[in-house]
Amino acid sequence: MNPEDLKYHKEHAWVRVSGKKATMGITDYAQEALGDIVYIDLPESDIHVEAGTEMSEIESTKTSSPVIAPVSGTIVSVNEKLADNPEIINDDPYGKGWIAVIEIDDPAELDELMDASDYEQHIEENK
Amino acid sequence: MNLVVIGSGPGGYVAALKAAQLGAAVTVVEREEVGGTCLNWGCIPTKALIASAEALAQARRLADFGINVNGSLAADLPAIMERKNKIVATQIKGIRALFKSWNISLLSGHASLLDSKTVEVSRSEGTQELLRADRVIIATGSRPAELPMFPFDGAKILSSNDAVNLSELPASFIIIGAGVIGCEFAFILRELGADVTIVEAMPRAVLSEDAEIAEILEKELKKRKIKLITSAKVTGVATTESSVEVVLDGDRKLAAEKVLVSVGRSYNTEHLGLESLGIARGPRGEILVNEKMETSVSGIYAVGDVIGGMLLAHVASKEGIVAAKNACGISAAIDYRVVPAGIFTAPEIGSVGLREHQAQKQGIPYTVGRFPMRGLGKAHAMGEIAGLFKIIAHAETDHILGVHIIGPHASDLIHEGALALQAGITAQALAAMIHAHPTLSEGIMEAAEDIRGTAIHLPKKN
Ligand SMILES: Cc1cc2nc3c(=O)[nH]c(=O)nc-3n(C[C@H](O)[C@H](O)[C@H](O)COP(=O)(O)OP(=O)(O)OC[C@H]3O[C@@H](n4cnc5c(N)ncnc54)[C@H](O)[C@@H]3O)c2cc1C
Repeated sequence: MNPEDLKYHKEHAWVRVSGKKATMGITDYAQEALGDIVYIDLPESDIHVEAGTEMSEIESTKTSSPVIAPVSGTIVSVNEKLADNPEIINDDPYGKGWIAVIEIDDPAELDELMDASDYEQHIEENK
Repeated sequence: MNLVVIGSGPGGYVAALKAAQLGAAVTVVEREEVGGTCLNWGCIPTKALIASAEALAQARRLADFGINVNGSLAADLPAIMERKNKIVATQIKGIRALFKSWNISLLSGHASLLDSKTVEVSRSEGTQELLRADRVIIATGSRPAELPMFPFDGAKILSSNDAVNLSELPASFIIIGAGVIGCEFAFILRELGADVTIVEAMPRAVLSEDAEIAEILEKELKKRKIKLITSAKVTGVATTESSVEVVLDGDRKLAAEKVLVSVGRSYNTEHLGLESLGIARGPRGEILVNEKMETSVSGIYAVGDVIGGMLLAHVASKEGIVAAKNACGISAAIDYRVVPAGIFTAPEIGSVGLREHQAQKQGIPYTVGRFPMRGLGKAHAMGEIAGLFKIIAHAETDHILGVHIIGPHASDLIHEGALALQAGITAQALAAMIHAHPTLSEGIMEAAEDIRGTAIHLPKKN
């Protein structure tokens, strides 16, 4: 269910790393838990985010919830399509529903993230 | 008893009616149109424009309600203005009819006090008329405050008076000042299709409101792609043929087709004879009054915007009633403890009583109950789920200290909170009252219950 080629943060964010850049979004589990997403407060490009802290906020019909940055770095691009169609995150959390691309400060930080099977176990344990 | 009322806004016209009911012979002097700022330039015209903007917003999302429409939507600004003008005209007629029914004479012209018993009226024909008065109520109100750096020109640098009478919609607007008026116009202009940027010198929008409520409003601005720049001071404005350039903090530049300046109000105290009578004024030029609304000169009262404080129509009216009673020999005093207020943004804000920062500052022990709008079935049915109910109660006595609502119909919903404050009841008593289902009012019950952490429709708190 969760793609094998991604890395996962315990606060239900994923990253796809390519060189110094990490594309990130929220996991399928997170979008499922949120329900119908109606708004995302997109982060701005060029701002610096700290792993484990809030970088954006998502509102669904049920609740509003922070998006936690999976890695530290500078945001280099943002998925502007989500501004008008945030429901893309529900439809395709690992694809078209990506949120931002972060230029990673320290690649060593990636080692702290989980792989798909560890993340699945993490979800199970926290149910 | 002869009473002369100067100004016929919600302060003056209400004072006139109350005094007439109490048996006074009343003359109202008005230099413009009856109804004052509120009816001609403020509350009513803006709410009429907001109704058009809301209708458009609703029409844009009809598909969400399962309704398909063919064809395109377009805001017809002249038609929107015509609708607004008609609403205003109807209300003006209403006030005039009330005056007539109570035998109040309405004199048009500029009034000034010659002495404490004589009012001089300068008519538009250039003639003067003298009125004998046993008592006078000054209700001359306020007007948009101008920044010396860039006076209103009515073409590119607009006041709110210009903005309620726009003849065409510019592509872009910069609004200086994110107070109540600035924010209300931001939503109207944006909905009608303009690009809107608000510039505010303070760190946040609607500074007078509870910070949590203001934060939600700021998010709603963002959702509508209204740009809000806070903690930025306008240091220059330059108009060119086709646009206006606004300079922030000496370096940052913004440009738009028009600028709306909504940075406050100036009191209408000029050419009134205040100085020659020695009527005392405050540091900002406002007329000083006591709790009976009487000025430093006995027999002369002042009410409404011109005395400063809360610049709200319903406050002006209440002050008018208090002044009228005292002028007619019935002792009355003003009580500002419970003043509900609405801000007609999208969504609306309703507030009464203490804001959380005020409770903190005053060192009052308090607890907060909250309930999100999206927790209500009715809000989902209406398709308007953004918002919050927030109730602040005394931590020891449980008495309600403040109620703050952002969401649909918040300006109406707030009155349950106002009544609770006025009656001095506890949060527990408010929570115990049966609230009809499904309604938005259920949010008040839930937020009151949340003070104990036992709102039915909120998950257990850790
Ligand atoms: C855009 C806008 C929106 C607003 N929206 C709201 C709202 O939603 N809710 C709310 O509560 N408040 C609102 N207000 C504020 C509200 O309009 C004022 O608080 C209210 O009008 C004050 O009433 P007043 O009687 O003191 O003065 P005014 O309404 O200003 O009336 C004063 C009258 O006195 C006349 N006058 C002045 N000097 C003289 C003189 N020397 N001789 C004769 N006549 C004179 C003026 O022509 C005027 O008609 C809004 C204001 C604005 C500008």
